[in-house]
Amino acid sequence: MVLVLKDLCVDFTGMRGKVRALNNVSLSIEKGEVLGVVGESGSGKSVTALSILGLLGSNANISNGEISYSGQNLLTLGPKEMQSLRGKKIGMVFQEPMTALHPTMKVGNQLAEVIKRHRSVSKRQACKLAIEALKEVHIHDPELVAKKYPFELSGGMRQRIVIALAMSAPPDLLIADEPTTALDVTIQKEILQLIKELNDRRGTSVLLITHDLGVVSNVCDRVMVMYAGEVVEEGITEAVLNAPSHPYTEALLHALPDLADPGEPLKAIPGEVPDLQNRPAGCAFASRCPKAMDICGVSAPALELVSTNRSAACWLRRDTH
Amino acid sequence: MNTLIDFHSVDKSFHKGKQSVRAVVDANLTVKKGSVVGLVGESGSGKSTLGKMLIGLEMPSEGSIHFEGTPLWKKKKFMRPRPGDIQTVFQDPQSSLDPRMRVKEIILEPLLALGSRERKEKGGRERLTSLMKRVGLKAEHLDRYPHEFSGGQRQRIAIARALITDPSFIVLDEPTSALDVSVQAQVLNLLKELKNERNLTYLFISHNMSVIRYMCDVIAVMYKGRIVESGPARELFESPRHPYTKILLSSLPSIFREKGPVLSFAPPSEMETGEEACGFFDRCPFRMEACLKAPAFEAITEEHGVACYREG
Ligand SMILES: Nc1ncnc2c1ncn2[C@@H]1O[C@H](COP(=O)(O)OP(=O)(O)OP(=O)(O)O)[C@@H](O)[C@H]1O
Ligand SMILES: Nc1ncnc2c1ncn2[C@@H]1O[C@H](COP(=O)(O)OP(=O)(O)OP(=O)(O)O)[C@@H](O)[C@H]1O
Ligand code: SF4
Ligand code: SF4
Ligand SMILES: [Mg+2]
Ligand SMILES: [Mg+2]
Repeated sequence: MVLVLKDLCVDFTGMRGKVRALNNVSLSIEKGEVLGVVGESGSGKSVTALSILGLLGSNANISNGEISYSGQNLLTLGPKEMQSLRGKKIGMVFQEPMTALHPTMKVGNQLAEVIKRHRSVSKRQACKLAIEALKEVHIHDPELVAKKYPFELSGGMRQRIVIALAMSAPPDLLIADEPTTALDVTIQKEILQLIKELNDRRGTSVLLITHDLGVVSNVCDRVMVMYAGEVVEEGITEAVLNAPSHPYTEALLHALPDLADPGEPLKAIPGEVPDLQNRPAGCAFASRCPKAMDICGVSAPALELVSTNRSAACWLRRDTH
Repeated sequence: MNTLIDFHSVDKSFHKGKQSVRAVVDANLTVKKGSVVGLVGESGSGKSTLGKMLIGLEMPSEGSIHFEGTPLWKKKKFMRPRPGDIQTVFQDPQSSLDPRMRVKEIILEPLLALGSRERKEKGGRERLTSLMKRVGLKAEHLDRYPHEFSGGQRQRIAIARALITDPSFIVLDEPTSALDVSVQAQVLNLLKELKNERNLTYLFISHNMSVIRYMCDVIAVMYKGRIVESGPARELFESPRHPYTKILLSSLPSIFREKGPVLSFAPPSEMETGEEACGFFDRCPFRMEACLKAPAFEAITEEHGVACYREG
């Protein structure tokens, strides 16, 4: 396993008190695997990514659980060691490429600098490798683009450069948090293809965060569905999307307009996400779940294996009661 | 169905110093009363600019726009039809609602354009409360501020604000793009119900093709300021004609889409192209010599038109 999270709990302390953003989150990624993380806004996707990267702010507290990377416990590493791990072993790509780029430095130089940091090469060699890296992310005319500043490039081009930067070490794991959300669909497709291609060719594992189930279905081997800071279902992408085990996954799929008959209303999920500050006693989805039973309001179901290759956190999927 | 809106050869250019951007180029489009017309296209293709010319925020540089048969713009002046008859809902409910105003003030604001009698009539307490209920909010929400609401609720506030004047036409510019799937479904359902109840007409701008398919009767596809294809929604989805429409549809990351033939952009052309070339030449997988002179927009059927030599 490249990455394993076990029962991770993250709390934020804010003006209104303590908020549990992640509640017993567990996941694992194998070498060469693409794991998709889906869920609505606020469900904890980014906090999961930031926890792994050691980038949670000072108001965050990991109150429980483990994060291990290639067998190494990341929670015991100091800030220096974490920093060297980021970039070198774990690459990252975020939604807004500008946040990862130096605004007043030519992109070729930015790449060369990072390459020099990771490998012991001369400046000239680094510049050559930078051009190679641009070619690898399918930038036409890399020599010309290398001389440009980020603001001179389109959003899609910038995201390609960020991916080139993230892959330059090259890392064993790439964490991409909504890498295509800000881009046009046609460009989104190209960027996703690029990520998939790098994954295929180099065997890089990928944690791909998105709120788009279509994106998941196109590029992810496995998918994990989050709701209110918890993992509610996890399994092989096709299987989960074709036959969801958890009522929330099912509701999410049915709410999509993709297959809906324009003459019929969409199947919206009634109600709202619970307030994370006042987490309900039982299942977090109970107030909106069409299949809720008595036990659901009293006791929270844990994420458990419900069949080969599939986990779900739902009382309906337990044979033991 | 009668024509409500008619764009005729509409151009819009923006000038910045010596540079000029042609945001909308020679746009022809009719919107029938009671229909939903969808506008799709990549970022910067001119969708919002087209919508803004209907609400008086941008003035056409060339051409004419008629609303119920009368020109919307006369000598650089926006000829407001009946005040409040055309309303809008924008994408980002966070920034389109003034954070310092209470919900009640936000919703009543469009009435300021109306005469005092109509203002009183339409802004009455009872009407306001029933409107709040209709969009799925509560009367006690009226005294709160926007930041106290979720994204979906804020979009409901924006919808109530658009409806307060009792419009016949609404420009919806990416109304659900900032919302989660489950909330999006609630808002789309609401918009559809309201349309049927009140016989509204919508111009629906979105980059989400699944949303467009579900919501619209007619779709217009824009590329670099031009409408390159328009037609009945079903027909456009089942047999797209313009290469860009085809690429757009084959890019959809839908779970349910049968994995049909994938069409992609061609690498940028090395050929020198002038102003008069087809706007899609540089990325078109089917380009040929003839395309160096742009094709006209031509009808294939009464309702379906396209601007491309290959498919005309
Ligand atoms: N720095 C922070 N301080 C306080 N609370 C935070 C902080 N970062 C995140 N949270 C809270 O943690 C929860 C999970 O947030 P997170 O950013 O992981 O959501 P997400 O699933 O990535 O959503 P989105 O799709 O909107 O990006 C939210 O309730 C959020 O308000
Ligand atoms: N006020 C303005 N001044 C200068 N240029 C403008 C102005 N408004 C729009 N433009 C330009 O006109 C073109 C069309 O913009 P528009 O906002 O209509 O695109 P859009 O299709 O709505 O894109 P998006 O999907 O990103 O919202 C763009 O090149 C844009 O930069
Ligand atoms: S545990 Fe109960 S409330 Fe929760 S998803 Fe399952 S059936 Fe629904
Ligand atoms: S006219 Fe030519 S270049 Fe333009 S879209 Fe058609 S085939 Fe492509
Ligand atoms: Mg996030
Ligand atoms: Mg726009």
